[in-house]
Formats: sequence, structure tokens, C-alpha cells
Amino acid sequence: MKRFSQLAVPYVVWAVIMLVLPMVLIALYSITEPGNSIVSFSMTIDHYVRFFTDPDFLIILWRSLWIAVKTTIICLLLGYPVAYFISRSSERMQNVLVLAITIPMWINMLVRTYAWIGLLSEGGFIQKILGVFGLGNTELLYTEGAVLLGMVYNFLPFMILQIHTALCKMDMSLLEASADLGANPVQTFARVTLPLSLPGVVNGITLVFLPAVSSFFIPKLLGGGQYFLIGNLIENQFITVGEWNFGSAISMIMAAVMMLLMMVVRRLEIKNQGGKEE
Amino acid sequence: MKKRKHPAGHLLMVLMLVFFYLPILYMVIFSFNDGKSLTSFTGFSLRWYRHMLDSGDMMEALYTTFGVAIAATFISTVAGTIAAIGLSRSKKLVRDLMEQVNNLPIMNPEIVTAIGFMLLFITFKVEKGYVTMLLAHIAFCIPYVMLSVMPKIRSLDPNLADAAMDLGATPWQALTKVIVPQITPGIVSGALIAFTMSVDDFIISYFVTGGGVKNLSIMVYTMSKRVNPSINAISTLVVVIITVVLVIVNLAPLLAAKREEKEEIGKRRLLIPTVSVLCVLALVAGVIYHRQENSRRPFEGQTLHVYNWGEYTGENILGDFEELTGAKVVVENFDSNEQMYIKVANGEAYDILVPSDYMIQRLISEDFLQKLDHSKLDCMNKLTESVKGLPYDSKNEYSVPYFWGSVGIVYDKTKVDEKELEKEGYNIFLDEKYKGDIYLYDSERDSFMMALKALGYSMNTEDEREIEEAFNWLVQCVQTMEPEIVTDEIIDNMAQGRKALGLIYSGDATYVMAENENMGFYLPKTGTNLWSDAMVIPKNAKNPELAHAFINYASDYDGAYDNSSYVGYTSANQEVMDTLSGEGGDFEGINAYIPRSGNDMDEVFVYNEDVKKIISNLWSRVKIAASNAD
Repeated sequence: MKRFSQLAVPYVVWAVIMLVLPMVLIALYSITEPGNSIVSFSMTIDHYVRFFTDPDFLIILWRSLWIAVKTTIICLLLGYPVAYFISRSSERMQNVLVLAITIPMWINMLVRTYAWIGLLSEGGFIQKILGVFGLGNTELLYTEGAVLLGMVYNFLPFMILQIHTALCKMDMSLLEASADLGANPVQTFARVTLPLSLPGVVNGITLVFLPAVSSFFIPKLLGGGQYFLIGNLIENQFITVGEWNFGSAISMIMAAVMMLLMMVVRRLEIKNQGGKEE
Repeated sequence: MKKRKHPAGHLLMVLMLVFFYLPILYMVIFSFNDGKSLTSFTGFSLRWYRHMLDSGDMMEALYTTFGVAIAATFISTVAGTIAAIGLSRSKKLVRDLMEQVNNLPIMNPEIVTAIGFMLLFITFKVEKGYVTMLLAHIAFCIPYVMLSVMPKIRSLDPNLADAAMDLGATPWQALTKVIVPQITPGIVSGALIAFTMSVDDFIISYFVTGGGVKNLSIMVYTMSKRVNPSINAISTLVVVIITVVLVIVNLAPLLAAKREEKEEIGKRRLLIPTVSVLCVLALVAGVIYHRQENSRRPFEGQTLHVYNWGEYTGENILGDFEELTGAKVVVENFDSNEQMYIKVANGEAYDILVPSDYMIQRLISEDFLQKLDHSKLDCMNKLTESVKGLPYDSKNEYSVPYFWGSVGIVYDKTKVDEKELEKEGYNIFLDEKYKGDIYLYDSERDSFMMALKALGYSMNTEDEREIEEAFNWLVQCVQTMEPEIVTDEIIDNMAQGRKALGLIYSGDATYVMAENENMGFYLPKTGTNLWSDAMVIPKNAKNPELAHAFINYASDYDGAYDNSSYVGYTSANQEVMDTLSGEGGDFEGINAYIPRSGNDMDEVFVYNEDVKKIISNLWSRVKIAASNAD
């Protein structure tokens, strides 16, 4: 049925303009001098050199990746059991629970992060609770822990929902088969459930890791002005410093790093599936 | 499958829900707080709801958020489904290529996508606003829709459509009666993802809008530095709206199902469009109602675009001005002069800007401002002499002062002795006695002012060695003192007495001291930055006439009083200043409210492009050093 293929044409045109062209523009900005016009145009790799020769920038990149990795691991460790539990509930309960996890996502992310400021700040709710255990003076807000918490809070639902979807797609008779063939629940989980839920895990990792690396308002709100991640660096270049070319170069570097990492993750998944794609 | 009870699972689930809902609950509770604090509940009040309803800005952000989300969801779901069906029948090469292209917004960090859109709109000179935001949202939503529709199409029998048409269906019928119903679950979940993405989006919207159009995220981001509990109020409203919609959508079919089980699907199919149509209608009605103005007033139906600092206007001034003139005021906020400059330099049109001294000088020298028409201004003689004729605009040809003040040290009198401050001046920020107990302010100019003044130099120095020394001073401070580098968070935090010392704008100190009597404000003898922020009209203003009217109104007693009493910054209006600092005034006895005069070391900032670039870079380095010192 080829005639439906024409339906894709408008979207192809749209995608070229709205998705491909912006990337081309960033690439272009990243290799040109500031103040270019169409007539005068000078190429340079200075922006890249500047980034890679400055240890401070590299530390920031490293820290951004590291905190994103930590966020992803925590989300996975928390998210998997939750998703597993949800998928084992009755269908009606599942709907309720999935809804309960989705609702917070509909309430603005910034607003929810903002609420954490009140909870974490000195004399705030959490500190009062810690005070009961004699830990009342622990500094919470404007620490790396706060940033990590903010990220886990914001991105955990993505992980749960992705894994839950994968677990739901699973053919339940496989579990019965596994049990019938003498596997104990742990074996069934390790040999059947886990591998089958892997696509969900990979999607979850992607959905958590990506925004975690590039987030700039969570570090800004919960980490304070002295907590700088790569997202803040880029925002700074575009919003307050005004060096768009350098900002574009950092964006390209970040995009490249992410693409590489994601390719590695996808490869792992494919490997685990015995080399079969999709 | 046998269902076993998992107590551990239940516990985990409960904890998880507590984790997810605790901040939301906290927000709802504090939306009813009488005080401004986010940590201490001082009494029940609805004042933040009143503030929210009065602020046309907040309600409009709400409409924008849901308007864009609903429109983007609808368009991207339809377009994405059509494209997915089309692509599934295309050549493999095209299909694979498009899959890669679609992966761009999904696999790219959001900020990269956002910058891409921004550069795209700027390159093609599309005016940033509602339309650009909608376009960007549609663009990043479609790939998600396709991602969830594609697998459903793949699992369809490819001969299904052919079979339908062999049986006499037209292609359109084959599509709508056969294919679409089969993939409905994918479409619905795609639409849900799109809606969630769009409603929650901040980064992309932040980079692609302009002209005062903002969604909730942008509003919160630009306001959140200064505590404004109406954010909690509006968030609570959102929670209520969403809960109601979800309850209707989810409960109604259940109830219906109880009566006629078989018709459940049909009901649900009917219900979702009904609800969305109702939503749209409500939205449209709201916007129309909102925009509806009556009677004949001088600027009926016109719009004034103001670009001002966050939380820099009183509670009533904008509403009163709208009432009086019939015009609508659209406010956009910035949190640094530099941020404002970049937008203005990129051609965004505003009618009024409120930059600081040195930035006004820069805007004048780069020819961004228009001369004021003094025949239309009747406010100049009401302003205090101290803020008129300053070096950045010596004849006030371009600017009319708004607020003014100094930068000094806010300190907790119970922890810091004033004698110590007198002895050490700004160097108290290097005194390890207060390690971990200080706030720095995230402003390149004022941080360098502090360092230069601590070292006894002019804050307008062009001597690179002196700047270098100041840089080292700041690095020493961030590496040994564990300061927190904050912006407006300092206000609430010092009002709660959380740290001993902080660098602060005098106006913020006024507010802090009015809230907490243990707080003091000290201006070191080595000098300070005597700053002023003034209203100017850019060259590309669309409504200079109305802008002049606004300048008059904001400078006159009522407007200026509302501004100054609410914000705490020193008014440029002499009478307001006298009233507020005089007997029985809100700020009686607060030394921070009246800026210092007669100290020769006090200076006004002068703009120097080279120095500004150096300092700007060095300040980034200081922050990076602070960040890497942890």
C-alpha cells in the first residue's frame, strides 16, 4: 500500500526545517567568529580549543556527567522495584498508581523544584525532622545532595513509567513456563523478567540521563549560584555573557558526548538481546 | 498468575508516593501562608490568591501554558500519526533517515535543542512570542507521538488497508475506519506524552519566547529568586485543575461502565474529546473575558511592554495603571542587566526598560535608546535631586530614575559586632571566623566592586593589575570561606537569620530589616556603589506615547509609593522617600532605606566595554573556582 507514503512528505519537509536546520545552525555558529554576516564569514576552531584547553571547563563537564550518572543509578535502583510492584498489581490498581506517578509530572517541574527549596532550607521541614534524630544542623540546601535529590525527584517518574511499560508488555505465560520448568522466583526474575524489561530500562536511562546532564535550573535553584554544571555554562553564554559562538561550541561538544554515550547504551541493549534489533 | 501480597512492595509504594507528593502538599499548605516565608507558617490567609488573581500576568501565564499544551498536543498528535502512517509505507532508506532525524530532539540534551530553535528563529527573523513557542513545542512533541504510534503500526497486518479497499472502502475510509482504530492506544499514549512534555517544558520555552509571552515555568524561573508565595497559589490552582480533569476523565467512564458495561469504550471515546473541547472553550472564554475591557480611556486596547527586574513593582501599580488608561501592561522580567541587554540588542521590542546606570550609558552609546519627550513628562520636579543629572545621563535626556541605593553588608547583630565591621570593612568576607556563614551576591559588577573597594581601589579602575588583585581576593574568598553565591534568595534567608553576613543591595536590606530586627546594614568607609535604576524607552518601542504615560505614573506619588513600600527599594520620588522613612512610615529608622551621601569613596559605575568583558570572564572563573572548591 504505497499510496499512503505521500502522507509523510509534509513531515519530511517540516523535520528538515525544524529539526535538522537548527543543528546545522548551532554547528555553524560553533565554528565561526562572533559578529559574522553573510558577506564576511570567518571560520575558526578557537571555541573548541578554548574549551578543551581549560581544566575548569573540563571539570564542569566531568561533574555534569558524573552527577547525571549518579542520578540515573539512583533512579534505576528506586524505579525498578516500584515499576515491578506496580506491574504486579491488579489492573485497576495499576491504572491508579500510574496515574499517581504521572500527575506530579503535569504540575510544573520548576514549581515542584521550587517547593523543595522551602522543604530543604534551613529551619525547613526536612531539617526539623532530622532534628528529631539529632541531625538538625545538617546543611541541606545548596549542596550537591540537594541537586541530586532535585534531579531524582524530577526524573524518577520517567524511569518508573518506562520500565512499567516494558514489564506490562511481557507475556505472563513466560513466567509460568519458567516456573513450570523448575526455575525459582529469583532465577525467573534474573533470566526472564530482567532481560525482557531491558528495553524499558534503556529507555528509562535515556530519559533520565539526558535531562540530568543538561539541566540548569535544578542546580541553579537547589545548588545555589556556586554550583555550576554544563547546562549553566551554556545558559550563561547565551543569556548573560552573550558569547553565542562559544556557547554553540559547548552545545556541540555536549551533544557529541551524549550521542556517544547513548550509542554505547544502545549497543549494550542489542548485545543483550542476542544481536537482534527491535 | 497468582497474586501475592508484598508488604515491602506496599511500603516502597507508599514511601514513593510520599516522596512525590510531599513537595506538592508543602506548596499547597504554604499557598495559604500569611507571611512571605517559605519555611515558617505564620497564619492562614488568602492574600497570595488575591495577589495571583490581581496579577494579570500570572493568569496569562496559566492560559499560555495550557493553551500551548493543548494546541501542541492536538497538532502534534494528528501530524505525528499521519506522518507515522506515511513513513511506514515509505522506502526503508527514508524511514531510517527520518528515524534518525526524529531522534534529534529526543536524544539531544534539551538545552541544545532549545538553542537550535532560538538560532533558527533569530536567523529567519521570526519574532519571538506565542507562535515561536507553539512551533517549537509542536516540533519536539511530534517525534514522541511518532515514537509511540510507530510500534502499533508495525504490528498491523500490512494488508489490512488493502483488504479494506478491496472491499470497497475509499483510502480515507481505510485510514480512518481501519488503521486509526487499530492504533488508537498508541495515539492516545502519544498524545499524553506530548501533553506532559509541553505542559512541563521550561528549557525550550525559555529560549524561544519573547514579547512578554511566558508560560508558568518561565514565570517561576524569573520570579523564584525572590520569594513570592503567589507561585504556590498558582501552583495549587494548577493542581486543582488537573485533579478535577483527571477525576472526570477517569471516573466518568467507570461510573458509566457500571451501568452499561459494553458501552464503556464508546463512552470513553466520546468523553475525551468532550472534555478537551470543554477545556478549550473554557480557555478561550477565559482569555476573552480576560482581555475584555470597557469604557473609553486614553489608551484603550493598547499594550505596553515593560522589561523590568523580577519583583520590582508594587502589588497594585500595574493594575491601577491599566484601570486608569485602559491599556494592558505586559511585563517581562530579567535578573541581570546583561540578560536584558542581550535581548534588546537582538531586536526584541519593549516600550520600557529599567536598566541600571552603567547599562543605560552603554545603551545610549550604542544607540538603542530614544530621547524622552520632556513635554510629555510632568514628573521630573517630583524626583529627588540626588538621582537626577548623574554622569550616565547628565541631563536626563534618556532616563527617569526609578529606584536607587547602595550596596553594603547585611549582618546579624547577634553574631557580628559593628566594631568589627568598622575595622575590617569588606575584608570581613575573608575573616575565617565567619567561614561558611556568608552570602556573596551573584553579580559580577558588585562582587568586583566589593573586592576593589576592600583593596582600596576605585571600582571603575581600568588597571589590569588591580583587577587581577581583586580577582585573587574573590578567589581567596570562595576557596577559604565556603560562601554561598546567591541572588535574591539572600532576602528571605537573611530575614530568617540564616547566616551572619551577606553582600546585599540596600533595598533588599531594607526589606530584611523590616522583617527581622536583629539585622543591621553597614556601608564600609572604603566606599560603595551608588547605583540607580531608571526607566528608558528603546528606539524600537512600539508605543512611546504610552511609555511616557507609564513613566509619569510610576514616578508620581501613588505609583512610586506602591512600588517602594512593597519592594523596599528607595524611591526616586522625594515625597515617597520622606513618607516611608519618616515618622510612622514603613521603613522608619531603617538606615538602609536612605542611601549614604557625603562619602568621597562612593562611586557611580561607568561603563567600559573592555573592562566589562574582563570582569565578566573573571567572575565566571570565580564561580567555577567556587564550584570546583566543593
